[in-house]
Amino acid sequence: MTQLAPPSVRLLVCGNADRGDDGAALSAVATLLPSLPSAMLERLEVRRCGHLRVEDLLEVPEGEVAVVVDAAVGIAPGHVVTLPIRDIVADPAAPTPRSSHELPVDQVLGLADVMRPGGLPEGTFVGIGGRRFGYGRPLSRSVRLNMPAFQAAIAAELSRLTHVPADRPTTPG
Amino acid sequence: MHGDDGGTLSVAAPGAEREFRVEYLTRVEGEGTLLLRVRGTEVVEARLKIFEAPRYFERLVVGRTGDEVIDIVARICGICPIAYQMSAVHAFEDLYGVEIDPSVRALRRLLYCGEWIQSHALHVYLLHAPDYLGYPSALAMAADHRAVVEQGLAIKRVGNQLIAALGGRAVHPVSVRVGGFSRAPRRRDLDAVRRALDTAVEQSRETVRLVASWDPPALEHAQPLVALRHAAEYPYNDGRIVSTDGLDLAPGAWREAFAEQQVEGTNALHARTHEGAVYLLGPTARITLAADQLHPLASEALAATGLRDAIRVNIHRSIVARAVELLHACAEARDLIDGYRPPVEPRVAFTPRPGVAAWSTEAPRGLLHHRYEVDEQGHVLHAQIVPPTSQNQGAIEADLAAFAPSVLDLPQAEATKRLEMLIRAYDPCISCATHFLDLSIVEAGAEEWTG
Repeated sequence: MTQLAPPSVRLLVCGNADRGDDGAALSAVATLLPSLPSAMLERLEVRRCGHLRVEDLLEVPEGEVAVVVDAAVGIAPGHVVTLPIRDIVADPAAPTPRSSHELPVDQVLGLADVMRPGGLPEGTFVGIGGRRFGYGRPLSRSVRLNMPAFQAAIAAELSRLTHVPADRPTTPG
Repeated sequence: MHGDDGGTLSVAAPGAEREFRVEYLTRVEGEGTLLLRVRGTEVVEARLKIFEAPRYFERLVVGRTGDEVIDIVARICGICPIAYQMSAVHAFEDLYGVEIDPSVRALRRLLYCGEWIQSHALHVYLLHAPDYLGYPSALAMAADHRAVVEQGLAIKRVGNQLIAALGGRAVHPVSVRVGGFSRAPRRRDLDAVRRALDTAVEQSRETVRLVASWDPPALEHAQPLVALRHAAEYPYNDGRIVSTDGLDLAPGAWREAFAEQQVEGTNALHARTHEGAVYLLGPTARITLAADQLHPLASEALAATGLRDAIRVNIHRSIVARAVELLHACAEARDLIDGYRPPVEPRVAFTPRPGVAAWSTEAPRGLLHHRYEVDEQGHVLHAQIVPPTSQNQGAIEADLAAFAPSVLDLPQAEATKRLEMLIRAYDPCISCATHFLDLSIVEAGAEEWTG
């Protein structure tokens, strides 16, 4: 019997490192990536988005899944959420990625849903509640303290989607 | 009493005073309020208040070198970071006497083309088009006008591609350096975007035809216009500051004619001429003052619309000006890539010197002026950054005053829509969101109703 390969995962890392908690995703992914097993890394395509744009989602090829990682608004600072991307569109009260500039995030996701063949890509939003987003500010204490939980949530989601255990020892490079 | 959405405003007795207050919601870099005070049918005050918190960039760059400044000021805007980089880099190079390679100069124009393409496509298709097609947002519009949104996104993507190819990434690029670039692309790095530009040129041509066919609200209000003008090219990085009033200044001499001033109720400084006059920047000004330097394809498309004079007096026609510039940027980008030869060195050496580094370039929204006082080591002592939106505030208010009487008797929802549409026509940074106004009407001595 033929086994279907698990899908490739496009990891969309949003935010600005110099805007306080807006840099949470960049910080989390930068420290997480070197610890991920090579079998998982082979299935990842990591893209730095700045702010999430419609094009970022339209460019996810059919058959790939997306993981959007960003600071979030609508939840307590430091709180970590994992939810399907589609749920953000369906539920106006859901936590939303912080880093949208050109269009509000509901428009970004809604347009991607309408314009992309097959609708929004399958995938997940992993977010951490942010407290402050001013220029030149470091990560807030709430985010710093919960960074391990944020990284664990990202790793768990990547593991689920790539079918590679996240706790496998890293291949020496 | 005033009605809710869809109701009709009461007609005030002659001489009675009313206020129309338009509250901004967030989702944007800036937040503000529109306040209209009306006596009878005469608008006696129209104020656009921007209450975005001060961001202190002019303080953040103090003590930094030119290269550091270029990276810092790029963070001022996620849509037009290149404009901020270009005004800064030209200012420092002018002070240091740096002569850049002609190929590097061409690359900078190409990079600017990328920004204009993505910014103009965003505004024309996703922010402004819903006003003309009768939708509350691009998302709502996409259900009925999928092809329009697809075209806009396709053109915008070409702009993103260009910026990423030259700047290292599509948002907040990192390659611009005093003396050139940190790295120059190989010719083959541009092959994919070159192919895409063939389509983008045709799509942009169609864009001009499309937006020229839309009927704007009536307005005839000519304002003083200010833009760069260059003897041999459409203005991006270089040229002299000119105006419809006969101004003619070097790009670093902005302060000889203009000054910023604090205005009560807004955190954005207003800019005025030294005589106190407001003025308008952006596509309307550039088309009026420099249309003879448009790419032939854009020039032909503008002529075919027959709207050049209408663009001058009705800000609602700025969507046509913006579309013509979109075509210009796509066509020029294609020509620049065709003629591109990588420079021998992407960057030339320079020696800092003390003095004033000042320059202006043309951001998508208009003239962007930077001025830095620099010490012997090349560190910034003092900075002044004058963005186009703050310069346009006075002109926006003047146009609102001219336009408002035509909406006073409309139902409230329609009046709100018309006022929003007028403000969006300027493509201010605060209109990054699609619909951000909430109209409330206050009659002197009465409570406030929120629409």
